[in-house]
Amino acid sequence: MMALVSGRTDLPPMPPPLPGFEHVRRSWNNQFQSYAARILPGEFYVTRQKEGVATTLGSCISACIRDRVTGIGGMNHFMLPATEVSDLASMKAVNLSDATRFGNYAMEHLINEIMRNGGRRQNLEVKLFGGGRIISGMTDVGLANITFVRDYLDIESLPVVAEDVGDIFPRMVMFFPATGVAKVKRLRSLHNNVILDEERRYIDSIKKQPVSGEVELF
Amino acid sequence: MNSAAATPDDLIRDISGLVTLPDVYLRVNRLVEDPNSSNADIARAVGQDAAFTAKLLKLANSALYNFPASVDTVAKAVTIIGTAQVRNLALSLSVANSFAGLPNDLVSMRNFWKHSLLCALAARELCKLARRCDPDALFTAGLLHDIGELIIFNRLPEQARDALLMVLDSQEEIGVPEAEDRLLGFDHARVGAALARQWNLPATLQACIAWHHAPARAEAHGREVALIHIANSLAQLAEVDSIEPADAPAIDPAAWTAAGLDPEVVEAVVRKAQEEFGEIEKIFLGQ
Repeated sequence: MMALVSGRTDLPPMPPPLPGFEHVRRSWNNQFQSYAARILPGEFYVTRQKEGVATTLGSCISACIRDRVTGIGGMNHFMLPATEVSDLASMKAVNLSDATRFGNYAMEHLINEIMRNGGRRQNLEVKLFGGGRIISGMTDVGLANITFVRDYLDIESLPVVAEDVGDIFPRMVMFFPATGVAKVKRLRSLHNNVILDEERRYIDSIKKQPVSGEVELF
Repeated sequence: MNSAAATPDDLIRDISGLVTLPDVYLRVNRLVEDPNSSNADIARAVGQDAAFTAKLLKLANSALYNFPASVDTVAKAVTIIGTAQVRNLALSLSVANSFAGLPNDLVSMRNFWKHSLLCALAARELCKLARRCDPDALFTAGLLHDIGELIIFNRLPEQARDALLMVLDSQEEIGVPEAEDRLLGFDHARVGAALARQWNLPATLQACIAWHHAPARAEAHGREVALIHIANSLAQLAEVDSIEPADAPAIDPAAWTAAGLDPEVVEAVVRKAQEEFGEIEKIFLGQ
Protein backbone atom coordinates (compact mmCIF):
# COMPACT_ATOMS: atom_id res chain seq x y z
CA MET A 1 0.00 0.00 0.00
CA MET A 2 1.42 3.34 -0.97
CA ALA A 3 1.41 6.11 1.55
CA LEU A 4 0.25 9.65 1.16
CA VAL A 5 3.59 11.35 1.17
CA SER A 6 4.48 14.15 3.45
CA GLY A 7 7.92 15.58 3.94
CA ARG A 8 9.35 13.60 1.05
CA THR A 9 12.23 15.41 -0.55
CA ASP A 10 12.35 13.70 -3.94
CA LEU A 11 9.10 15.17 -5.23
CA PRO A 12 8.89 17.85 -7.91
CA PRO A 13 7.85 21.28 -6.63
CA MET A 14 4.12 21.88 -6.37
CA PRO A 15 2.95 24.04 -9.28
CA PRO A 16 1.67 27.49 -8.26
CA PRO A 17 -2.12 27.77 -7.93
CA LEU A 18 -4.12 30.35 -9.85
CA PRO A 19 -5.14 33.38 -7.79
CA GLY A 20 -8.20 32.54 -5.71
CA PHE A 21 -7.38 28.83 -5.37
CA GLU A 22 -4.63 29.04 -2.77
CA HIS A 23 -6.93 27.58 -0.10
CA VAL A 24 -7.64 24.33 -1.95
CA ARG A 25 -5.74 21.43 -0.40
CA ARG A 26 -3.36 19.67 -2.76
CA SER A 27 -1.14 16.63 -2.27
CA TRP A 28 1.07 14.28 -4.25
CA ASN A 29 -0.67 11.26 -5.75
CA ASN A 30 1.57 8.23 -6.25
CA GLN A 31 -0.70 6.37 -8.60
CA PHE A 32 -0.84 9.24 -11.09
CA GLN A 33 2.61 10.61 -10.23
CA SER A 34 1.11 14.06 -10.03
CA TYR A 35 -0.12 16.67 -7.61
CA ALA A 36 -3.86 16.78 -7.21
CA ALA A 37 -6.26 19.23 -5.59
CA ARG A 38 -9.12 17.74 -3.59
CA ILE A 39 -12.34 19.72 -3.74
CA LEU A 40 -15.29 19.37 -1.38
CA PRO A 41 -19.01 19.90 -2.09
CA GLY A 42 -19.55 23.54 -3.08
CA GLU A 43 -15.93 24.09 -4.10
CA PHE A 44 -14.26 24.29 -7.51
CA TYR A 45 -10.71 24.40 -8.82
CA VAL A 46 -9.21 25.67 -12.08
CA THR A 47 -5.64 25.12 -13.25
CA ARG A 48 -3.34 25.79 -16.20
CA GLN A 49 -0.79 23.29 -14.89
CA LYS A 50 -0.23 19.59 -15.38
CA GLU A 51 -1.98 18.62 -12.16
CA GLY A 52 -5.14 16.74 -11.22
CA VAL A 53 -8.38 17.76 -9.56
CA ALA A 54 -10.08 15.10 -7.47
CA THR A 55 -13.29 14.70 -5.54
CA THR A 56 -15.65 12.09 -4.15
CA LEU A 57 -19.28 12.17 -5.20
CA GLY A 58 -22.46 10.71 -3.80
CA SER A 59 -25.55 12.29 -5.30
CA CYS A 60 -23.61 15.47 -6.14
CA ILE A 61 -22.43 16.29 -9.66
CA SER A 62 -18.98 17.25 -10.87
CA ALA A 63 -18.58 18.91 -14.24
CA CYS A 64 -15.03 18.65 -15.59
CA ILE A 65 -14.56 21.38 -18.15
CA ARG A 66 -11.48 22.22 -20.23
CA ASP A 67 -10.31 24.15 -23.24
CA ARG A 68 -9.27 21.33 -25.53
CA VAL A 69 -6.72 23.53 -27.29
CA THR A 70 -4.90 25.16 -24.38
CA GLY A 71 -5.60 22.58 -21.66
CA ILE A 72 -6.89 25.14 -19.18
CA GLY A 73 -9.69 23.68 -17.16
CA GLY A 74 -11.10 22.55 -13.87
CA MET A 75 -13.81 20.82 -11.90
CA ASN A 76 -16.75 21.85 -9.76
CA HIS A 77 -18.81 19.87 -7.25
CA PHE A 78 -22.38 20.82 -6.47
CA MET A 79 -25.91 19.71 -5.92
CA LEU A 80 -29.29 21.39 -5.93
CA PRO A 81 -31.06 21.88 -2.63
CA ALA A 82 -33.89 19.72 -3.90
CA THR A 83 -35.73 19.16 -0.67
CA GLU A 84 -38.23 21.89 -1.47
CA VAL A 85 -38.83 20.37 -4.90
CA SER A 86 -40.01 16.81 -4.59
CA ASP A 87 -39.97 15.61 -8.15
CA LEU A 88 -38.40 16.26 -11.50
CA ALA A 89 -41.44 17.88 -13.08
CA SER A 90 -41.57 20.60 -10.51
CA MET A 91 -37.79 20.88 -10.65
CA LYS A 92 -38.06 21.75 -14.34
CA ALA A 93 -40.98 24.08 -13.72
CA VAL A 94 -38.91 26.16 -11.33
CA ASN A 95 -35.77 26.01 -13.45
CA LEU A 96 -33.65 29.14 -13.11
CA SER A 97 -35.33 29.91 -9.83
CA ASP A 98 -34.33 29.12 -6.26
CA ALA A 99 -33.83 25.42 -6.62
CA THR A 100 -31.38 25.70 -9.48
CA ARG A 101 -29.51 28.88 -8.68
CA PHE A 102 -26.75 27.00 -6.87
CA GLY A 103 -26.30 24.78 -9.88
CA ASN A 104 -26.16 27.80 -12.19
CA TYR A 105 -23.77 29.46 -9.79
CA ALA A 106 -21.43 26.45 -9.70
CA MET A 107 -21.44 26.00 -13.48
CA GLU A 108 -20.98 29.69 -14.31
CA HIS A 109 -18.26 30.16 -11.74
CA LEU A 110 -16.24 27.33 -13.26
CA ILE A 111 -16.77 28.41 -16.87
CA ASN A 112 -16.03 32.08 -16.15
CA GLU A 113 -12.86 31.23 -14.25
CA ILE A 114 -11.62 29.06 -17.14
CA MET A 115 -12.31 31.86 -19.61
CA ARG A 116 -10.73 34.48 -17.36
CA ASN A 117 -7.55 32.40 -17.47
CA GLY A 118 -7.42 32.15 -21.23
CA GLY A 119 -9.94 29.47 -22.11
CA ARG A 120 -12.14 30.10 -25.14
CA ARG A 121 -15.78 29.24 -25.08
CA GLN A 122 -15.81 27.54 -28.50
CA ASN A 123 -13.00 25.20 -27.34
CA LEU A 124 -14.71 24.00 -24.16
CA GLU A 125 -15.56 20.35 -23.65
CA VAL A 126 -17.27 18.75 -20.66
CA LYS A 127 -17.18 15.46 -18.77
CA LEU A 128 -19.89 14.72 -16.21
CA PHE A 129 -19.75 12.51 -13.14
CA GLY A 130 -21.86 11.65 -10.11
CA GLY A 131 -25.55 11.86 -9.37
CA GLY A 132 -25.59 8.41 -7.77
CA ARG A 133 -28.61 7.14 -5.90
CA ILE A 134 -26.64 6.10 -2.86
CA ILE A 135 -29.60 5.93 -0.49
CA SER A 136 -32.43 3.71 -1.59
CA GLY A 137 -36.01 4.72 -1.08
CA MET A 138 -35.49 8.44 -0.88
CA THR A 139 -36.17 11.06 -3.55
CA ASP A 140 -33.67 10.60 -6.35
CA VAL A 141 -31.66 13.75 -5.74
CA GLY A 142 -28.92 12.39 -7.99
CA LEU A 143 -31.25 12.19 -10.96
CA ALA A 144 -32.49 15.75 -10.36
CA ASN A 145 -28.87 16.92 -10.40
CA ILE A 146 -28.13 15.01 -13.62
CA THR A 147 -31.21 16.45 -15.31
CA PHE A 148 -30.28 19.96 -14.26
CA VAL A 149 -26.71 19.82 -15.55
CA ARG A 150 -27.68 18.22 -18.86
CA ASP A 151 -30.30 20.92 -19.43
CA TYR A 152 -27.81 23.60 -18.49
CA LEU A 153 -25.15 22.34 -20.93
CA ASP A 154 -27.76 21.92 -23.62
CA ILE A 155 -28.89 25.53 -23.29
CA GLU A 156 -25.28 26.73 -23.24
CA SER A 157 -24.40 24.48 -26.22
CA LEU A 158 -21.40 22.96 -24.46
CA PRO A 159 -20.57 19.42 -25.65
CA VAL A 160 -20.46 16.51 -23.18
CA VAL A 161 -17.66 14.25 -24.42
CA ALA A 162 -17.92 11.62 -21.68
CA GLU A 163 -19.98 10.89 -18.61
CA ASP A 164 -20.49 8.38 -15.84
CA VAL A 165 -23.61 9.37 -13.93
CA GLY A 166 -26.48 7.80 -12.00
CA ASP A 167 -26.50 4.20 -10.72
CA ILE A 168 -26.17 3.42 -7.02
CA PHE A 169 -22.47 3.98 -6.36
CA PRO A 170 -20.49 6.80 -4.83
CA ARG A 171 -17.56 7.74 -7.05
CA MET A 172 -14.03 9.01 -6.78
CA VAL A 173 -13.05 11.17 -9.75
CA MET A 174 -9.61 12.39 -10.82
CA PHE A 175 -9.48 14.86 -13.74
CA PHE A 176 -6.44 16.22 -15.55
CA PRO A 177 -7.44 19.39 -17.42
CA ALA A 178 -4.17 19.52 -19.38
CA THR A 179 -4.86 16.19 -21.10
CA GLY A 180 -8.59 15.79 -20.55
CA VAL A 181 -8.02 12.40 -18.93
CA ALA A 182 -10.60 11.57 -16.26
CA LYS A 183 -10.43 8.47 -14.07
CA VAL A 184 -13.52 7.33 -12.20
CA LYS A 185 -13.57 4.71 -9.51
CA ARG A 186 -16.72 3.38 -7.94
CA LEU A 187 -16.53 3.32 -4.16
CA ARG A 188 -17.83 0.58 -1.88
CA SER A 189 -20.81 1.38 0.32
CA LEU A 190 -18.57 1.58 3.39
CA HIS A 191 -17.95 5.19 2.36
CA ASN A 192 -21.61 6.15 1.74
CA ASN A 193 -22.36 7.80 5.05
CA VAL A 194 -19.14 9.82 5.26
CA ILE A 195 -19.81 11.17 1.75
CA LEU A 196 -23.47 11.83 2.55
CA ASP A 197 -22.47 13.80 5.63
CA GLU A 198 -20.18 16.02 3.54
CA GLU A 199 -23.01 16.62 1.09
CA ARG A 200 -25.52 17.34 3.86
CA ARG A 201 -23.21 19.87 5.46
CA TYR A 202 -22.94 21.62 2.10
CA ILE A 203 -26.69 21.65 1.55
CA ASP A 204 -27.30 22.96 5.08
CA SER A 205 -24.79 25.74 4.51
CA ILE A 206 -26.33 26.91 1.24
CA LYS A 207 -29.85 26.72 2.63
CA LYS A 208 -28.82 29.24 5.26
CA GLN A 209 -27.92 31.76 2.56
CA PRO A 210 -30.65 34.30 1.74
CA VAL A 211 -32.83 33.58 -1.28
CA SER A 212 -31.42 36.45 -3.27
CA GLY A 213 -28.64 38.98 -3.07
CA GLU A 214 -25.79 37.01 -1.52
CA VAL A 215 -25.24 34.72 -4.46
CA GLU A 216 -23.99 36.52 -7.49
CA LEU A 217 -25.66 35.40 -10.69
CA PHE A 218 -23.89 35.88 -13.97
CA MET B 1 -9.64 11.62 23.75
CA ASN B 2 -10.64 8.20 24.96
CA SER B 3 -8.77 6.45 22.19
CA ALA B 4 -5.30 7.36 23.35
CA ALA B 5 -5.16 4.56 25.86
CA ALA B 6 -7.58 2.18 24.16
CA THR B 7 -6.26 -1.15 22.93
CA PRO B 8 -8.10 -3.86 21.01
CA ASP B 9 -8.50 -5.78 24.28
CA ASP B 10 -10.02 -2.70 25.98
CA LEU B 11 -12.59 -2.46 23.20
CA ILE B 12 -13.46 -6.14 23.54
CA ARG B 13 -13.94 -5.68 27.28
CA ASP B 14 -16.22 -2.69 26.61
CA ILE B 15 -18.56 -4.67 24.39
CA SER B 16 -18.65 -7.92 26.35
CA GLY B 17 -22.22 -7.27 27.53
CA LEU B 18 -23.44 -6.12 24.12
CA VAL B 19 -22.31 -8.93 21.85
CA THR B 20 -22.28 -12.60 22.74
CA LEU B 21 -21.68 -15.79 20.83
CA PRO B 22 -24.98 -17.27 19.64
CA ASP B 23 -26.35 -19.86 22.11
CA VAL B 24 -27.04 -22.33 19.34
CA TYR B 25 -23.38 -22.19 18.32
CA LEU B 26 -22.24 -22.80 21.89
CA ARG B 27 -24.59 -25.78 22.26
CA VAL B 28 -23.65 -27.35 18.94
CA ASN B 29 -19.96 -26.65 19.52
CA ARG B 30 -20.04 -28.46 22.88
CA LEU B 31 -21.71 -31.49 21.30
CA VAL B 32 -19.38 -31.63 18.29
CA GLU B 33 -16.40 -31.60 20.67
CA ASP B 34 -17.99 -34.32 22.83
CA PRO B 35 -17.05 -37.80 21.55
CA ASN B 36 -20.10 -39.30 23.26
CA SER B 37 -22.63 -37.15 21.47
CA SER B 38 -24.65 -38.40 18.53
CA ASN B 39 -26.04 -36.74 15.43
CA ALA B 40 -29.44 -36.95 17.10
CA ASP B 41 -28.14 -34.89 20.06
CA ILE B 42 -26.86 -32.25 17.67
CA ALA B 43 -30.13 -32.19 15.73
CA ARG B 44 -31.99 -31.71 19.02
CA ALA B 45 -29.71 -28.83 20.01
CA VAL B 46 -30.29 -27.19 16.64
CA GLY B 47 -34.06 -27.73 16.92
CA GLN B 48 -34.18 -25.64 20.10
CA ASP B 49 -33.49 -22.53 18.00
CA ALA B 50 -36.44 -22.15 15.66
CA ALA B 51 -35.00 -19.18 13.76
CA PHE B 52 -31.71 -20.96 13.12
CA THR B 53 -33.49 -24.19 12.16
CA ALA B 54 -35.54 -22.39 9.54
CA LYS B 55 -32.48 -20.72 8.07
CA LEU B 56 -30.45 -23.93 8.15
CA LEU B 57 -33.10 -25.83 6.18
CA LYS B 58 -33.47 -23.02 3.64
CA LEU B 59 -29.72 -22.89 3.19
CA ALA B 60 -29.43 -26.67 2.88
CA ASN B 61 -31.98 -26.49 0.06
CA SER B 62 -30.38 -23.50 -1.64
CA ALA B 63 -28.20 -23.40 -4.74
CA LEU B 64 -25.19 -23.25 -2.43
CA TYR B 65 -25.48 -26.97 -1.66
CA ASN B 66 -27.39 -28.23 -4.62
CA PHE B 67 -28.42 -31.50 -2.96
CA PRO B 68 -30.44 -33.76 -5.27
CA ALA B 69 -33.18 -34.43 -2.70
CA SER B 70 -34.91 -31.92 -0.50
CA VAL B 71 -33.53 -31.58 3.03
CA ASP B 72 -36.68 -31.30 5.11
CA THR B 73 -35.61 -32.22 8.65
CA VAL B 74 -32.82 -31.08 10.92
CA ALA B 75 -31.69 -34.69 11.35
CA LYS B 76 -31.29 -35.00 7.60
CA ALA B 77 -29.44 -31.67 7.42
CA VAL B 78 -27.01 -32.76 10.13
CA THR B 79 -26.36 -36.04 8.34
CA ILE B 80 -26.01 -34.61 4.84
CA ILE B 81 -24.19 -31.37 5.64
CA GLY B 82 -22.09 -32.84 8.44
CA THR B 83 -21.79 -31.93 12.10
CA ALA B 84 -18.71 -29.70 11.77
CA GLN B 85 -20.42 -27.77 8.98
CA VAL B 86 -23.61 -27.36 11.02
CA ARG B 87 -21.46 -25.89 13.77
CA ASN B 88 -20.01 -23.38 11.29
CA LEU B 89 -23.46 -22.48 10.06
CA ALA B 90 -24.73 -22.04 13.64
CA LEU B 91 -22.16 -19.26 13.90
CA SER B 92 -22.63 -17.87 10.38
CA LEU B 93 -26.40 -17.70 10.38
CA SER B 94 -26.70 -16.19 13.86
CA VAL B 95 -23.82 -13.72 13.91
CA ALA B 96 -25.73 -10.83 12.32
CA ASN B 97 -28.23 -11.00 15.19
CA SER B 98 -25.41 -11.10 17.69
CA PHE B 99 -23.97 -7.85 16.38
CA ALA B 100 -27.31 -6.05 16.19
CA GLY B 101 -26.47 -4.74 19.66
CA LEU B 102 -23.56 -2.72 18.21
CA PRO B 103 -25.19 -0.08 16.02
CA ASN B 104 -23.16 2.69 14.35
CA ASP B 105 -23.66 5.74 12.16
CA LEU B 106 -20.96 4.99 9.59
CA VAL B 107 -22.27 1.99 7.72
CA SER B 108 -25.73 0.46 7.57
CA MET B 109 -25.91 -3.10 8.86
CA ARG B 110 -27.28 -4.13 5.48
CA ASN B 111 -24.27 -2.72 3.62
CA PHE B 112 -21.86 -4.11 6.19
CA TRP B 113 -23.24 -7.64 5.91
CA LYS B 114 -23.49 -7.33 2.14
CA HIS B 115 -19.72 -7.04 1.92
CA SER B 116 -19.23 -9.82 4.48
CA LEU B 117 -21.65 -12.13 2.70
CA LEU B 118 -20.05 -11.47 -0.70
CA CYS B 119 -16.68 -12.24 0.89
CA ALA B 120 -18.09 -15.44 2.37
CA LEU B 121 -19.51 -16.54 -0.99
CA ALA B 122 -16.28 -15.66 -2.82
CA ALA B 123 -14.23 -17.52 -0.19
CA ARG B 124 -16.46 -20.57 -0.48
CA GLU B 125 -16.12 -20.58 -4.24
CA LEU B 126 -12.35 -20.02 -4.18
CA CYS B 127 -12.08 -22.86 -1.69
CA LYS B 128 -13.99 -25.22 -3.96
CA LEU B 129 -11.64 -24.32 -6.82
CA ALA B 130 -8.54 -24.66 -4.64
CA ARG B 131 -9.74 -28.00 -3.22
CA ARG B 132 -8.34 -29.53 -0.04
CA CYS B 133 -10.11 -27.09 2.23
CA ASP B 134 -13.46 -26.79 3.95
CA PRO B 135 -15.81 -24.45 2.02
CA ASP B 136 -18.15 -24.02 4.99
CA ALA B 137 -15.30 -23.02 7.31
CA LEU B 138 -14.12 -20.49 4.73
CA PHE B 139 -17.68 -19.19 4.36
CA THR B 140 -17.77 -18.51 8.10
CA ALA B 141 -14.35 -16.84 7.98
CA GLY B 142 -15.54 -14.60 5.15
CA LEU B 143 -18.61 -13.58 7.12
CA LEU B 144 -16.61 -12.75 10.22
CA HIS B 145 -13.47 -11.23 8.70
CA ASP B 146 -14.49 -7.58 9.30
CA ILE B 147 -16.30 -7.88 12.67
CA GLY B 148 -13.60 -5.68 14.23
CA GLU B 149 -14.93 -2.86 12.07
CA LEU B 150 -18.33 -2.97 13.79
CA ILE B 151 -16.60 -2.74 17.15
CA ILE B 152 -14.43 0.23 16.15
CA PHE B 153 -17.38 2.01 14.50
CA ASN B 154 -19.44 1.57 17.67
CA ARG B 155 -16.78 2.33 20.29
CA LEU B 156 -14.59 4.94 18.52
CA PRO B 157 -16.98 6.57 16.03
CA GLU B 158 -15.07 9.86 15.61
CA GLN B 159 -11.70 8.27 14.99
CA ALA B 160 -13.34 5.75 12.67
CA ARG B 161 -14.91 8.57 10.67
CA ASP B 162 -11.56 10.38 10.50
CA ALA B 163 -9.97 7.19 9.20
CA LEU B 164 -12.56 6.90 6.41
CA LEU B 165 -12.03 10.59 5.59
CA MET B 166 -8.29 10.00 5.39
CA VAL B 167 -8.92 7.23 2.85
CA LEU B 168 -11.05 9.55 0.70
CA ASP B 169 -8.69 12.53 1.13
CA SER B 170 -5.81 10.40 -0.12
CA GLN B 171 -7.80 9.26 -3.17
CA GLU B 172 -7.54 5.77 -1.68
CA GLU B 173 -3.75 5.83 -1.71
CA ILE B 174 -4.18 5.08 1.99
CA GLY B 175 -6.35 2.04 2.60
CA VAL B 176 -8.80 1.61 5.47
CA PRO B 177 -6.54 -0.58 7.65
CA GLU B 178 -3.59 1.76 7.21
CA ALA B 179 -5.69 4.82 8.07
CA GLU B 180 -6.99 3.07 11.21
CA ASP B 181 -3.47 2.11 12.14
CA ARG B 182 -2.28 5.72 11.85
CA LEU B 183 -5.16 7.16 13.88
CA LEU B 184 -5.78 4.43 16.43
CA GLY B 185 -2.53 2.51 16.55
CA PHE B 186 -4.29 -0.66 15.40
CA ASP B 187 -6.70 -1.71 12.67
CA HIS B 188 -10.03 -3.56 12.55
CA ALA B 189 -8.29 -6.86 11.82
CA ARG B 190 -6.54 -6.73 15.20
CA VAL B 191 -9.78 -5.86 16.99
CA GLY B 192 -11.61 -8.70 15.26
CA ALA B 193 -8.79 -11.07 16.14
CA ALA B 194 -8.97 -10.03 19.79
CA LEU B 195 -12.69 -10.85 19.83
CA ALA B 196 -12.15 -14.18 18.05
CA ARG B 197 -9.52 -15.07 20.65
CA GLN B 198 -11.80 -14.02 23.51
CA TRP B 199 -14.57 -16.17 22.03
CA ASN B 200 -12.17 -19.05 21.59
CA LEU B 201 -13.16 -19.48 17.95
CA PRO B 202 -11.32 -22.14 15.91
CA ALA B 203 -7.68 -21.22 15.20
CA THR B 204 -8.26 -21.03 11.44
CA LEU B 205 -10.97 -18.42 11.93
CA GLN B 206 -8.77 -16.43 14.28
CA ALA B 207 -5.95 -16.40 11.73
CA CYS B 208 -8.24 -15.40 8.84
CA ILE B 209 -9.71 -12.49 10.81
CA ALA B 210 -6.30 -11.33 12.07
CA TRP B 211 -4.39 -11.42 8.78
CA HIS B 212 -6.87 -10.84 5.97
CA HIS B 213 -5.08 -7.59 5.08
CA ALA B 214 -1.55 -8.95 5.67
CA PRO B 215 -1.57 -12.59 4.62
CA ALA B 216 2.23 -12.80 4.56
CA ARG B 217 2.28 -12.29 8.32
CA ALA B 218 0.14 -15.31 9.16
CA GLU B 219 2.27 -17.90 10.97
CA ALA B 220 -0.24 -20.71 10.46
CA HIS B 221 -3.28 -21.46 8.31
CA GLY B 222 -1.58 -19.55 5.48
CA ARG B 223 -3.75 -21.14 2.83
CA GLU B 224 -7.05 -20.18 4.44
CA VAL B 225 -5.74 -16.69 5.25
CA ALA B 226 -4.68 -16.24 1.63
CA LEU B 227 -8.14 -17.32 0.44
CA ILE B 228 -9.87 -14.78 2.70
CA HIS B 229 -7.40 -12.08 1.64
CA ILE B 230 -8.30 -12.73 -2.00
CA ALA B 231 -12.02 -13.12 -1.25
CA ASN B 232 -12.06 -9.73 0.49
CA SER B 233 -10.86 -7.98 -2.66
CA LEU B 234 -13.17 -10.00 -4.89
CA ALA B 235 -16.12 -9.10 -2.64
CA GLN B 236 -15.31 -5.42 -3.22
CA LEU B 237 -15.22 -6.04 -6.97
CA ALA B 238 -18.57 -7.84 -6.75
CA GLU B 239 -20.03 -4.92 -4.83
CA VAL B 240 -19.01 -2.26 -7.38
CA ASP B 241 -19.75 -4.69 -10.23
CA SER B 242 -16.24 -4.74 -11.70
CA ILE B 243 -13.74 -7.41 -12.64
CA GLU B 244 -10.82 -4.98 -12.86
CA PRO B 245 -8.43 -5.79 -10.01
CA ALA B 246 -7.47 -2.07 -9.86
CA ASP B 247 -10.97 -1.32 -8.55
CA ALA B 248 -10.31 -3.19 -5.28
CA PRO B 249 -7.46 -3.33 -2.76
CA ALA B 250 -4.39 -4.97 -4.29
CA ILE B 251 -4.12 -8.72 -3.84
CA ASP B 252 -0.72 -9.87 -2.54
CA PRO B 253 0.69 -12.00 -5.42
CA ALA B 254 2.06 -14.45 -2.83
CA ALA B 255 -1.52 -15.08 -1.70
CA TRP B 256 -2.38 -16.61 -5.07
CA THR B 257 0.58 -18.98 -4.69
CA ALA B 258 -0.34 -19.81 -1.09
CA ALA B 259 -3.94 -20.48 -2.15
CA GLY B 260 -2.79 -22.60 -5.08
CA LEU B 261 -4.95 -20.59 -7.46
CA ASP B 262 -4.45 -18.58 -10.63
CA PRO B 263 -5.63 -14.93 -10.85
CA GLU B 264 -7.55 -15.98 -13.96
CA VAL B 265 -10.35 -17.22 -11.69
CA VAL B 266 -11.27 -13.65 -10.62
CA GLU B 267 -14.09 -13.09 -13.06
CA ALA B 268 -15.75 -16.46 -12.51
CA VAL B 269 -15.64 -16.10 -8.72
CA VAL B 270 -16.93 -12.51 -8.74
CA ARG B 271 -19.81 -13.47 -11.03
CA LYS B 272 -20.67 -16.53 -8.96
CA ALA B 273 -20.74 -14.52 -5.72
CA GLN B 274 -22.97 -11.89 -7.34
CA GLU B 275 -25.29 -14.60 -8.66
CA GLU B 276 -25.64 -16.41 -5.32
CA PHE B 277 -25.93 -13.25 -3.23
CA GLY B 278 -29.65 -12.54 -3.67
CA GLU B 279 -30.89 -15.92 -2.46
CA ILE B 280 -28.37 -16.22 0.36
CA GLU B 281 -28.94 -12.67 1.61
CA LYS B 282 -32.64 -13.44 2.04
CA ILE B 283 -31.85 -16.50 4.14
CA PHE B 284 -29.10 -14.76 6.04
CA LEU B 285 -30.92 -11.56 6.93
CA GLY B 286 -34.37 -13.17 7.19
CA GLN B 287 -35.82 -13.49 10.66
